[in-house]
Amino acid sequence: MVSVSMAVNLGGIQMRNPLNTASGTYGNGWQFEGFYDVGATLGAITCKGVAAEPWQGNPAQRLAELPGSAIMNSVGLQNPGVRGFVDEYGAYLQGLRDKGCQVICQVAGHSIEEYVRATELYEELAPFASGFEVNISCPNIAAGGAAMGATPEAAAEVMRAVRPRTQRPVVVKMAPHDVAEIGRALEDAGADALSLINTIPGMSIDVCTRKSRLSRPTAGVSGPAIHAIAVRMVWECAQAVKIPLCGIGGVSSGEGAAEMILAGATAVSVGTANMYDPTCVPRILAELEQWAEEQGVQDINELIGAFEC
Amino acid sequence: MRQSSLTQHDFTVISNTQVAEGVWRMVFASEVARSIEPGQFMNFEVPGDGSHILRIPLSFSLADAAHGRVVIYYAVVGEGTGRLARMRPQEASTLLGPCGNGWRLPADTSKRALLVAGGIGLPPVVAAADLLAAAGVGFDVAIGLRTKDALAPTLLQELELFQDKDTQVRMATDDGSLGLHGFATQAAEQLLSERDYGSIYTCGPQVMMAGVAKLAEERGIACQVSMERMMGCGFGACACCNVALAAGGYALCCQDGPVFDAQEVAW
Repeated sequence: MVSVSMAVNLGGIQMRNPLNTASGTYGNGWQFEGFYDVGATLGAITCKGVAAEPWQGNPAQRLAELPGSAIMNSVGLQNPGVRGFVDEYGAYLQGLRDKGCQVICQVAGHSIEEYVRATELYEELAPFASGFEVNISCPNIAAGGAAMGATPEAAAEVMRAVRPRTQRPVVVKMAPHDVAEIGRALEDAGADALSLINTIPGMSIDVCTRKSRLSRPTAGVSGPAIHAIAVRMVWECAQAVKIPLCGIGGVSSGEGAAEMILAGATAVSVGTANMYDPTCVPRILAELEQWAEEQGVQDINELIGAFEC
Repeated sequence: MRQSSLTQHDFTVISNTQVAEGVWRMVFASEVARSIEPGQFMNFEVPGDGSHILRIPLSFSLADAAHGRVVIYYAVVGEGTGRLARMRPQEASTLLGPCGNGWRLPADTSKRALLVAGGIGLPPVVAAADLLAAAGVGFDVAIGLRTKDALAPTLLQELELFQDKDTQVRMATDDGSLGLHGFATQAAEQLLSERDYGSIYTCGPQVMMAGVAKLAEERGIACQVSMERMMGCGFGACACCNVALAAGGYALCCQDGPVFDAQEVAW
């Protein structure tokens, strides 16, 4: 019988446990209902990134598998726009809220104006949103995305523009570089929490054709192979900011989630593992609870940042 | 948004043998046999190598709900299918399924259907034959292969289970070693010139299906195509397996397909 309190607070998003999902690996949740009760299990779900207007995403090929427990994707934020998203998934996502699962809606954009417009539309149309995650780190779109979060100044500008548009908590999804410096800038600009890391830009070349295995020269690497890099970046960022972090990157076990928490993460998102092992979230949660109990704490919050160096 | 009925099932290998050049046939026991429909697919976790994380999506030829058995065929083309070929009887793993949307009966069941298969696209076409036969729809089959050694005799035997006395099976090979020296589309064209069809069902290489879609469009015959894409999840979560649509934008092969109306697809 688990007696550890698992509830955490991600910048105002009160989660019954630390488990969240990495945007883009989890659809909008309903696809997993055949595997477990999503609303009764997760602390939060982070939905697929959505812009003010629909985006088609990138042409095929969007996916490559890499040896060494990793994949690359170049989906490019295919989405139906905020209106389409709310029409199709709003009732389902409200149902998740009713079961105690927080719903984090992701904001995508090509420009500051587009981030603002998407946030305004969510505010108008998405009462089910517990908070927002502003994606300034997608490596797979030509304009916006990672370019918006490439420097502390650019990242802060997006955050300052979005901040007055909503009273709800705003998390910012960060790219895998300069996380301490950019994290501080985002904190100063009013971010309630940070999530990191997004996929790591990589390349995979077909040496016979001399072309990329994907439709674009570079794409985002994810999966267990990047876990150690993500833990390091969470640790670096945690030392630089006071706002809570959501650790993302190659988590596929309770041990991996525990590493993120020890490095300084308040919440932990499961990403690529959902794709190849869609039953993994309840197992990871049980393993995490068991670990916390074995650590002899009453409350999992006691373990956040408890890494000893 | 639709309801998701797919879940994870265990499967246990009953037999797994090479049946043609580069082609393996596996019979396995699984509860998925009771819910999977012709043209749907499953996403297999193949043991033996933790460094390759993605599952392998495969369609099937026969599903025996009464005995909980499924027959799949696969071409060994890479590391993952190589591992699948090394699974031995009694060995077990998991699969996700039933995935996607399968074949649909034609609007007009009074006319014959033409089935066109290329290479390893034949197994799901056998499943289409099963669906059609159960509804009393007669069919003919055009099969294209690289060479005669690539033909799995068991697939022809399975097809025979659903044939009627009028069924014609017309073969074509790239090297002329069996049947017509040419492509499945040429065999299909012959049949189209000889008989009247109300529907066409096809699975095979994309270039072949594009040709079949064109034949169907020219003749005003409804055509269903089973598309193949590399997949991440197999159930709509990752959006990696996009299929370009004639109307613009993309559908997801795993969730919106793998069976599409040929007219929907941007060839």
